[in-house]
Order: sequence, then C-alpha cells, then structure tokens
Amino acid sequence: MALVTSAFWKQGDFVARSVGMPDVPRLMLPHPVSATGKENMRRVADSIRDGVIAALRGDGS
Amino acid sequence: MTTIDTRGTGLVTADLLDAASEEDALEALHELGCTDGLPVVIPTPERVARFVLASGFDGDLVLGDLGPGLGAATVELVAAAAVMAGCLPDHVPVVVAAVQAVAQPEFDLTEMQATTHCTAPLLIINGPVRDAVGLQSGFGALGPGFRANATIGRALRLAMINIGGARAGVADMALLGHPGKFTYCLAEDEEGSPFEPLHVSRGWSPEASVVTVVGAEAPQSVMFVGDADDPDAPDRLLRTLAGSIANVGANNAQIGGSGVVTVVLNPDHTAVLHEAGYDRKGVAEALSGLAVNTRGTMRALNPSMAGKGADDDLIRAVRNPDDLLILQAGGSGLYSMVMTSWCAGPHANRAVSQEIMFGQACEIPGMRL
Repeated sequence: MALVTSAFWKQGDFVARSVGMPDVPRLMLPHPVSATGKENMRRVADSIRDGVIAALRGDGS
Repeated sequence: MTTIDTRGTGLVTADLLDAASEEDALEALHELGCTDGLPVVIPTPERVARFVLASGFDGDLVLGDLGPGLGAATVELVAAAAVMAGCLPDHVPVVVAAVQAVAQPEFDLTEMQATTHCTAPLLIINGPVRDAVGLQSGFGALGPGFRANATIGRALRLAMINIGGARAGVADMALLGHPGKFTYCLAEDEEGSPFEPLHVSRGWSPEASVVTVVGAEAPQSVMFVGDADDPDAPDRLLRTLAGSIANVGANNAQIGGSGVVTVVLNPDHTAVLHEAGYDRKGVAEALSGLAVNTRGTMRALNPSMAGKGADDDLIRAVRNPDDLLILQAGGSGLYSMVMTSWCAGPHANRAVSQEIMFGQACEIPGMRL
C-alpha cells in the first residue's frame, strides 16, 4: 500500500490511474510529515496505524 | 466554427472539440488545462495534418510514452503540440527528436515531471539544422526574440503537459518551477568554438543534426573578467565556474554529484581555456575536481544529507567528468552560465542525445496556417 500526504493525494490518484492500478490501497497522511520532528512523526504513525492494518487486511483503505 | 484537436490531453474524451471562433477555442483550451498559460495557435485538423506531413512520419507512429500519464506520443499529437507552440513546419523534426529523447528510459521523464524539484529539459541543438531553421546560438540565445528557440522548446513543454499529463499541482509537483519550464532551448556556437561540437564529443558525426536533452535548473550567471597578462586567469575562471557548480544549495552538492551539469561558456571564456591548452575533456576533468565542498560544510548546512565520514572529506558536485555538458553559446563578454540538475530518478536523470531525422516531406499547395 502507499502512504500519501494530503498535498500529493491528487498526484497519487493520477499516477495510480496512469499505471493501471486505480484501486491500489492508499492512506492519507497530513502534510508535511518530513522534517516535522520525531514527536510529530510518532503522532502521525499512531494515527494511521489502524488504517494501515485494515488496508493490509484488505478491509478498507 | 473552429474544430480543435485535443486528443492526448488526458482531460477530454472527445477527439475533437468545436468552438464558434478561434477566440472561443483558445479559451476552451485554457479552461481544459491544455496550454502553458500563454495563448496558443489553435491546433485545427488542417494545421495538425500539415505538421504531420512536415515530420516525414505517419501520424499514428508512436515516438514513446510520456510520463507520468504514460500517454502515447504519436507524431500527430506531437504535431498538435508544435502547432500550439507556434512552430513552423520546418521545426517539427526537431520537436519530434526532442520528444524521442525525453521518452528514453534513462531520462527518467516520469519521475522528473512528478518531482517537487524545479528541473526542466534544456534542449541543446547541434549540426546543420541550426542554420536551416534559424536556431540562435549567440547573443540572447536563451532569451526572447528567436522563434525557433522559443517555439521548439515550448512545443516539448506542451507535449509534456498534454501527452505526459504534467499539470502543475496535480501531476507536476514542482514547488515553484522556473521560467525554463515554458521554453528552454539553444543551439551551440559550433563555428565560433575551438572545441569539437558537443554532439561530436557524444559520438555523432559533425554532419548529423542532434538534439541533446538534459534536466536543468534555472541558469546561474557566472561572471569572470579575463586578463591576458595574468597567467592564473584560466585557473581563476575554472575555480569561478566550479564554485557555481558546487553551489551548496543545489542538488549536485547536496546529494553527492550523481547528476549532469551543463556549462555554457561564452566565446571569451572558451578562448581563455583553449589558449591555456584545455579541450572540452580537460575542462570537464578540471571542473569535476574543483567543484567540491567539504563534508563538514555540507553537514553544517544540512546534516541529514551529508552522509557518513570525516568533516574534511571532499564531496564532488559532479563525480564523473562525463556528466559535465560543456558547450559554447552566447555573446562575447563577461558572463557564462551553469545549470545544475535534479540528480535523482532511477537513472539520475541522464542526458540523452537524439539524431534529428528529416523525412521526404512536401507542402500541400494552398494549405497554409
């Protein structure tokens, strides 16, 4: 699955369609994540954990 | 009634759009995101057909797939881009070759079009085609006023938008871009240069007409005042150029010298180096050795990109001298230019050269723009 920040969500959709994988599981992250500090990155990771597991199980993305 | 050929835009399903007038057609193309923001020539079927003929190829010939949309760049769609850009029919073979070049895997077009970096393809034209179509290599070669330079570079950009799907903020994620993303095309001043032409140094015959595409940032002006009485002048010039190549903010310095750098020497600067015994290869080797930063410098500025090692390690901005594209262009004077690059992508965004092929084209009587 792909983790995509909100600023790149449209691009993710575009590329997924272009390469013939329009339904590839994706999960939206806040933007930016990069360079926001370890504490914030842990918060982001915690917030998406359940969504990642659900997507990998194939029961939602 | 004007008919607009919009195939390949990625935004419309109809092959052709109708409009009541050329003005309405232009507004429709702007609305669909099919322009670069400037007015275009309306690509009517008649105009496109004329340009297909000028290409010398069949309209449905696929030149390559353009990422990130992976649209098939047929000759017809490329001809439509050339019409829109304001090209003349004689320019079409150059545009076709440029599209073939950026479609080569080692150019990494998909990644290049999608990156947040500002990179844009710079077109360098060599060979007899320069005079045949009026490409400028002298004063102002990268500036306004030269139709072939302006429209050929623009046609490639429009193909990248409409066939490749690189629309800003959707697929083209450049944070700012740069003005060379409108058009970025010049010819080499082969006749004025003491060095062999760039395309010859890359394995082509002097008689071949060749386009070389390289991903490039906006040019940095490099000022150098020569002094015929100063034996150190060549070394000072090389160190000045190297300082721009190793610009600490550029990707070449930050991510370790994997990318191609273009150096456009004006005739005076080329002469300084030639008279000191340098050929193109010698200049490249010298610049590759001089364009360095210490790891300590880079670590102090951007520790996450500096890698492991001692502070006094020297990090080259261009590891391989072959990754320095050195050419002569521009007017006589104090200023040369350096274009650093993105350096990323699966192939580190290699420069690609493509021969320009001229078909057995002829004009259709009475078929004018």
